[in-house]
Amino acid sequence: MTRDRGTREHHGGGLRGAIAAEWTKLWTVRTTYVCVIAAFAFMAVFTFYYGSIARINDHPLQPVGNAPVAALVLVQYPLAVLAMTSVTSEYTTGSARTTLQWVPLRHRAHLAKAVVAAVVALVLGFALGVVGMAVAWVVFDGHATFAVAEAVYQVLAMGAYLALVSVIAIGVSFALRAAAGVLAVLFFSLTASPIMLVGLGGEVLSRINEFLPQTAGSGFMLGDAEPHPPLVAFLIVVAWAGITHFAGLAVLRERDA
Amino acid sequence: MITLRGLTKRYGDTTAVDGLTLDVESGRVTGFLGPNGAGKSTTMRMILGLDHPSAGTAHIDGKPYASLRHPVREVGALLDAKALHPARTARNHLLAMARSNGVPTRRVDEVLAAVGLASVARKRAGGFSLGMFQRLGIAGALLGDPRVLIFDEPINGLDLDGVRWVRGLVRSLAAEGRTVLLSSHLMSEMQLTADRLVVIGRGRLLADKPMADMLAESSRAAVRAHLPRPDDLRLLTDRLRARPGVEVAPAGDGAIHVRGATVAEVGDLAHELGVRLHGLHAAGASLEEAYLELTADSVEYGTKEVGA
Repeated sequence: MTRDRGTREHHGGGLRGAIAAEWTKLWTVRTTYVCVIAAFAFMAVFTFYYGSIARINDHPLQPVGNAPVAALVLVQYPLAVLAMTSVTSEYTTGSARTTLQWVPLRHRAHLAKAVVAAVVALVLGFALGVVGMAVAWVVFDGHATFAVAEAVYQVLAMGAYLALVSVIAIGVSFALRAAAGVLAVLFFSLTASPIMLVGLGGEVLSRINEFLPQTAGSGFMLGDAEPHPPLVAFLIVVAWAGITHFAGLAVLRERDA
Repeated sequence: MITLRGLTKRYGDTTAVDGLTLDVESGRVTGFLGPNGAGKSTTMRMILGLDHPSAGTAHIDGKPYASLRHPVREVGALLDAKALHPARTARNHLLAMARSNGVPTRRVDEVLAAVGLASVARKRAGGFSLGMFQRLGIAGALLGDPRVLIFDEPINGLDLDGVRWVRGLVRSLAAEGRTVLLSSHLMSEMQLTADRLVVIGRGRLLADKPMADMLAESSRAAVRAHLPRPDDLRLLTDRLRARPGVEVAPAGDGAIHVRGATVAEVGDLAHELGVRLHGLHAAGASLEEAYLELTADSVEYGTKEVGA
């Protein structure tokens, strides 16, 4: 059963190997497919309602892509959960140790998970954007505009935003390890905080809200110039991804597996 | 070779592993023994870079585990056989492992066949029995064809057939020149499998010696002599008892049990006295007896005998 040592191939492994392993692990559990289906279902239902309401209430004309961008408030969660479970399920089952046996360098193991989750979310984000626009276009029934450059920008932006949310989810998951805590933190920082801050009102709280990932991300995806130019809004989300990534890495390095 | 130098792990005020220094050499099976809570698993996790030592080092062929380019090809380890995603199939679990370290995919099917799981390779691991988990864990350890193998309690949950298979496997891995570190609480099995023993208690090294020495040095090692004539039996018993440090106990049916003397000494004495012997042999201590003697003072979660 042993192979000849002389013929051992000495390639593979490293970051590429770590990414290949994470990719394999992702597509060999059912959770992944459930999350992807949920994301598309949420997108279809949300954009259907968004377009219908705009039509029924005779809203002013808006870019068709606004519907899927608004839908991401909800649609981001199945993808965040997808990223999260790639980490938290390993702590639940004890296989986090197995992963670190295969890839003992902490930063590499973490980066591989972040890269895989981000790439999957990026590509799914493109597809979700296209699907959302298609569904909305039908139900808007003339109450929306379509411009190729604008639509392409919004599709790309949705992919980028979801990729960054996935990186945030991975970082928070490595920092907290338990799914309940991770979901609470994600829900609080992505969804609850903007609602609270806007609800309470006032200049300071509104200003804080403008720097939260989802608020900045929405501005970026809508292509709004206010409160931040799109590039600045994008960089705010990148900064959140960076901060949570390194927070997660710090915990992963420090604590025993 | 696995090299530990002053390896220490503290959790707050508790010292789980206390300055372990030892070499686990290649070409033989090193048994790793100790009571529950002695620090065996913590030591193994530190060797694999999973837990950070508070002090000291653990090296594999001179390097820390984390610095190995292809760790799965260098060190195969079975720590917790159940530590895998229950929804993933056995084959996909090993496939991810193979891809992480650039191990050819065909090797996955080879090891699955080698551990006898080929027929359930595409079944979800969550439905496996403990014995099947152990086999899958062993398949993972063998996947990269590593020079160093670490098995933590590999025979838990295995049936007799499985136990005998692991024994043969472990012996053959060592015979191929690999380094094998094996922990188990089953002393009779360890006695059949290990060449050398490392015993720890409360995180400290209690013994690091060949199996033969461990058994021979036990105070439970004895010589059994059988003499057909009662007079001879009495004479030999009296003369042996006259020697310092020798204990003699009747063992029934014309036999005696001698502690503190070698077979040669008892044989020579019988010859000198001219008594007739029908049997003389070493009744070596079992590993269980030798182990209990060694660890008597370092049992972490012991039970006291309740007086009647």
